[in-house]
Order: sequence, then C-alpha cells, then structure tokens
Amino acid sequence: MRAFETLLAAATALTALAMPAAAQTLTIWSRSGQGDTLEAVAKAYGESHADKVAVVTLPVDEFVQKYATAIAAGNAPDAVALDLIHTPTFAQAGQLEDLTAWAKGLPYFGALSPAHLSVGTYQGKVYGLPLTTETSVLAWNKDLFRKAGLDADKGPTTWAEWKADAARVTALGGDTHGFYFSGACGGCYIFTFTPLVWASGGQILVDDGAKATLDTPALKDGVDFYRSLVAGGMVPASSRTDTGSDFLSIVDGKIGLQSIGASQIGVLTIKYPDLHFGVTLIPGRDGGTSSFVGGNNIVVTKGAKSVKAVEAFMEYVYSPEGQRLMVRHGSLPARSDIAADVMKGQDPRYDVAVAAIAVGRTPYSPLFNDIINSPNGPWAQMMNAAIFGADPASAIRDGQTRMQDVIDAAK
Amino acid sequence: MSATSLPTAATAAAAKPKDRRRRKRRDLVGLLYVLPAMALVVVFFVVPIGMTAWMSLHNWPLLGVPRFIGLGNYVRMWSDAGFWSSLRFTLLYTAVATVAIFAVAFPLALFVERPRPLGALFRTVFFLPVVVGFATASLLWVWLLNTDSGLFAPAFQALGFTPQRVNILGDFGTAFPAIVAMVVWKVAGFTMILLMTGLQGIPGDVVEAARIDHAGPLQRFRFITLPLMRRTLGLALILCVTGSMLAFDQFYIMVAGGPRNQTVTAVYTIFNQSFVSFRLGYGSALSIALLAILLVLSVGQLWLLRDREDAR
Repeated sequence: MRAFETLLAAATALTALAMPAAAQTLTIWSRSGQGDTLEAVAKAYGESHADKVAVVTLPVDEFVQKYATAIAAGNAPDAVALDLIHTPTFAQAGQLEDLTAWAKGLPYFGALSPAHLSVGTYQGKVYGLPLTTETSVLAWNKDLFRKAGLDADKGPTTWAEWKADAARVTALGGDTHGFYFSGACGGCYIFTFTPLVWASGGQILVDDGAKATLDTPALKDGVDFYRSLVAGGMVPASSRTDTGSDFLSIVDGKIGLQSIGASQIGVLTIKYPDLHFGVTLIPGRDGGTSSFVGGNNIVVTKGAKSVKAVEAFMEYVYSPEGQRLMVRHGSLPARSDIAADVMKGQDPRYDVAVAAIAVGRTPYSPLFNDIINSPNGPWAQMMNAAIFGADPASAIRDGQTRMQDVIDAAK
Repeated sequence: MSATSLPTAATAAAAKPKDRRRRKRRDLVGLLYVLPAMALVVVFFVVPIGMTAWMSLHNWPLLGVPRFIGLGNYVRMWSDAGFWSSLRFTLLYTAVATVAIFAVAFPLALFVERPRPLGALFRTVFFLPVVVGFATASLLWVWLLNTDSGLFAPAFQALGFTPQRVNILGDFGTAFPAIVAMVVWKVAGFTMILLMTGLQGIPGDVVEAARIDHAGPLQRFRFITLPLMRRTLGLALILCVTGSMLAFDQFYIMVAGGPRNQTVTAVYTIFNQSFVSFRLGYGSALSIALLAILLVLSVGQLWLLRDREDAR
C-alpha cells in the first residue's frame, strides 16, 4: 500500500515537473484588421513544436490603450505584435525587453526589414523586430476601367493621370465613384496619403519626431489634389466621416481607385474573387513613387518570463518555411536575403508591394498615437479640415501649430 | 427615533440610565444595519475619489514613474482651451438634451398615465429603447445615419428634401440634432415612466375639487399637477442633467468627437488625456473639476425644487 502511495506521489510530482515544459503556451496580442497571417504561422508552429502560440486579437482603435493599461496593471502578455510605429512609444517608456543580444546574433540580422528596425531601435538597443510587413499601394478596379474606356492594365503614374482616370470612372454614373479614402481616419491618412507627400519630396516629421513639418508645399499640393477629387464629385459623400470602418470600400465594385495595404491583396483575392483589380505604386505629383512601410514588430513586455519561447517562435517565423507561410497568408517577407525565393509563385501583384519597400518610409515618433492615430489628434483633425473644410491653408497652419504643441508638451 | 416613548418629567429621572443603555444598543444595531452600505460607499466611492484627488496632484504617466507637482495640473487646466471648449459643448448638449427629453417625455407620460385601450402596449413601446445599451443604440443609429446604406439620407433624397444624399454626420449643424434625436429616442421612455409615477401619485380628489371650482385644464396643470410633482420632477431632472453632463459613448461611437472636434465632451477630453496621451494625473484633475461642477449643478437643482414648506 505504502509503495503504491509513493509511486503515486512520484508520478504526480513527475507530471507536475513535466507539465509546464510540455504545454507552455505563449500568448501574443495582435490588432484587428491584419488578415490571418499570425494565426496561420502560430497554428503551423504549434503543430510542429512542443510549445503552442495563442493569438489574441484586439480592436485596432483601442490597441495602444489596452496594451498600455495592461502594462500599468501588471497583466500584459509576454509578447505583442505591435503596430511598428508604436514601438518608440513603449521603448521610450522603458516597458520593453532589450532584445539586442539575441537579435544581433541572428545570422540574417543584416537582412531584416530596415523600416521595422528603424522604429524598433531606441538609443542603440533593439526592442522590436519585424513580424509582419506590408506597404501601401494604389489599387484600381479593372472592370470599371474597361467600362470607362481606359487601359485596364495600366494604373496612373502621376496625379494628373490619377484624376483623369477617376473622372472617367465617375462619369459612368449611378453609384460609381472614381476614388475613395477614409476621410476621418488619421491612421488611414498616414498610410495612404503621406506617400503622396514623400513621393513629391516632402516630410511630415523630422529630427526623430521632435519637429512637425506639415506646413510645406508638398503637403499643400497633396491636399489640393484630394480637394479637387472631392470637388469633382469623384469621392462618395460618406468618405468625410469614415473613421476607418469602411476603409476597404473598393470591395463593393463601385470604386475606381483606392489606396490599400499589401496585406489586403490576399483578402481581396480570396474573399472577393469577382473583383478584378490591379495595383501600382502610389505616385508623386509629376511621377516618383512612395509607400508607407508598415506592419507589426514583435516586442516583449518588460519582465516577461517566456523570452526564450518568443525567441524560439521568431526563429521559426524567420526560417524559410515560416517566411513562405507568412507570404502565403498576406505578409511580405521580413528577410530580404530569401525574399525572392519565398515570393516565388506568388500573385504578381505582390511584386509591386515588395517594390514599395525600397521606395517606402516609416515615420518615427514616440507620440504616434497621440499626434497621428487619435481621431481627435492634430493630424486627423488637420487632414479632415484641410480636405473638406473651406480654408485649407489655415487648417494646415493650425495643424502644424497643434502638432508641435503636443510634441513640446510631452518633453 | 420618533417611535420612542416620550418620557414625562417624573419617569425621566428614574429611567434615565436604562434608557440610555437601550438607546446605545439601538444605535449600535442601527450602525450594524448601515455598515454594509457604508463599506460599499467607502470602497467603491470614497477611496477611488481620494485616489483620484491624490493622482491629480501628480504628473502621473500611464507608463512610468509619478512625480508630485502639487496644483500644477489645476494651473494647467486653467489655460487648457480644449478642456473649456469641451465643457462649453457639454453644457450646451445638457441644456438641449434635457429640454428635448422633457418636451417628449412629459406629453408621453400624460398620454400613458390614464387608462385607455392598448395603454400597456404604448407604455411598452415607448419604454423599449431604454433597455437597449447606449453603445448598441449608437451603433444602430450610425447605420441609420449612414450616407449610402442608411435610412435617413436616402429617404430624404427620395422624398425630395435634399437634391443629393447628404452626409448627416458630416456637419455640426446636422450631426448634433441627429445625436440629440438618438438620445431622446433612447432616454425619453425612462423619464416618461418616472413622470408617470409622479402623475399617478396625485390624489384624484384634489383634481376633482379643482374641477368643481371651474379650474381649466391648463390651470389644473399649472397649479395642481406641477406643484404636486415637484419631487418627481426634481429626480427626473437631476438624473437627466447628470447623465447628459457625463455623456461620452454616443459621441465616441457615432462621430468620434467630430466633425472637427466640435462634439468632444468633458468626459471625452478626460478619456483622451488619460488613455491616448497617457496623462493620468491631468485626467484625474479634470475629473475632480467635473465632479465639482456636477456637485454645484445638483445642489442648485435641489435648491430650486425644494419644498417651500421645508424651507420655512
């Protein structure tokens, strides 16, 4: 009897010892609207490894608040797929684990997306590494282009062409419009509108986000271009108040042109097979191109216990197998050294999205949520007032002052 | 204590120690009875308010280390144009919404108070929107107000009111009335029920006597109904004003404070300062200021609606 009890106790102790190692589950928070890339990789990882990865998706608009309050409350998850532009905010606040030693030890560290590392590095230390990658590109509806008598295989390369194309599609009448953008969404503007400014030689933030440069000819020109599309009746009236919920309006088949994210190419092809669309680089006023290089950085919350598990998962993500899987589920490759290889056999439209990485940018600011993404912040307010208001020049001047005020107040 | 026997001068002297003991026990029992309620108030009201007040004296970032700055946040609040303009808008909204809710709820209450065929059905129908949450109601109206797929904009166009589809939420002049309409739809039923109970509390014989004295319907309303409903009116008014002063959901969900930040309420500013700009200390200071304003408003209303007999 006693022997049996001892055996039982030993068995219990053994399982207790074995359990945590065998069933460790790493929880990663992610924002909504990102397709199923992370879920797909997490699933594949779980099937081939002892550790499991659970992805928890939170609403994109509340993501930064939720993560920050979770940190303050001490119940933040170990790892987070953080919108890369917010990495400086959390790194500066001292809330992220320093991953420098591990990251620099990776044989392919030099090939990792420079855009992600530019915002993932703070004071020389690496806090965020590329997880998913996407770029903004200009999409057009081929069927509508054909109906309007335009070349269905050629997107615009200047603003003049863009406007002419939009006008022709609008002229089809009915509910058809030439262009769409989410007019009350700061995050959408930074993703789809700033490439117009960059491609025309402008900048919106300089000196690591310490100086706002909104009141420039390049931005004014871009605003005037959008205003002319709105004034020409080429944009649906609902655009003005769209806070981002109707970002993918092109799926209705009644929008001629719209800037979208590369991660949405997959969503469009799978969910809307009847929508025939092409993509091209977002042009500058008289040519030139640019893009917003976005996506998510993987970050580890300060004091996390499972840093090793995160590293193991990320090494799988960066493996050729992981990269291939990511690409198949809508992300662009994070490693440039094997990009060509893993992109083989992909939809040719992804080539445009990959080309955008080379000409694209990622703005840097530790106050990104405050000055750019907040619907009440200076950027969203200025863009809406400048494009839909009566006096764009004063709206831009006002936006410049307000943004600089917020930056200065945070010092 | 009115239930205690009134001791006469003769018995008072003899019974004093015994009486005192009994009263002490009675007090103790009374204290025990209110203790759970007091504990709730202390834990969920007094302590949080104390913490908020304490935080308002700090530069308290959501992430990072708090630093004591005394009254710095309050000084800053003084010159914060954003907060004052949001407060002005909140007062405007409170005035408009309160008047609109009462203008709809009072006739409804008069209508459903008297027994009539289908009375219960009307009551239920008018009250139904109240059981919908504010966020749900806001989302429902966002859809109703959508330019392309909603109800109003296409309907106005079809009926010839507008030449083309109008984005109702795009301009303050149309967005504000639309939101007030949503709030009235959502809240009037509750105010109606409150007012109805007040109306039902008016004794029938008083009204009858007034009628015998040849008082017209308007006179009866002015001199009988209104004065006898003062307490109910006071309750409905305070609930309505407090609710409106703390409005947030509908403006956050329906227009995100737009167009052009013209519908950012005081609570919305507090939310933005605390959780978008991560300035918890400053947000706390604004909360304390709003609490003080609400306190003044409520005391003012109670004073206005006080019973004249009590005041004498």
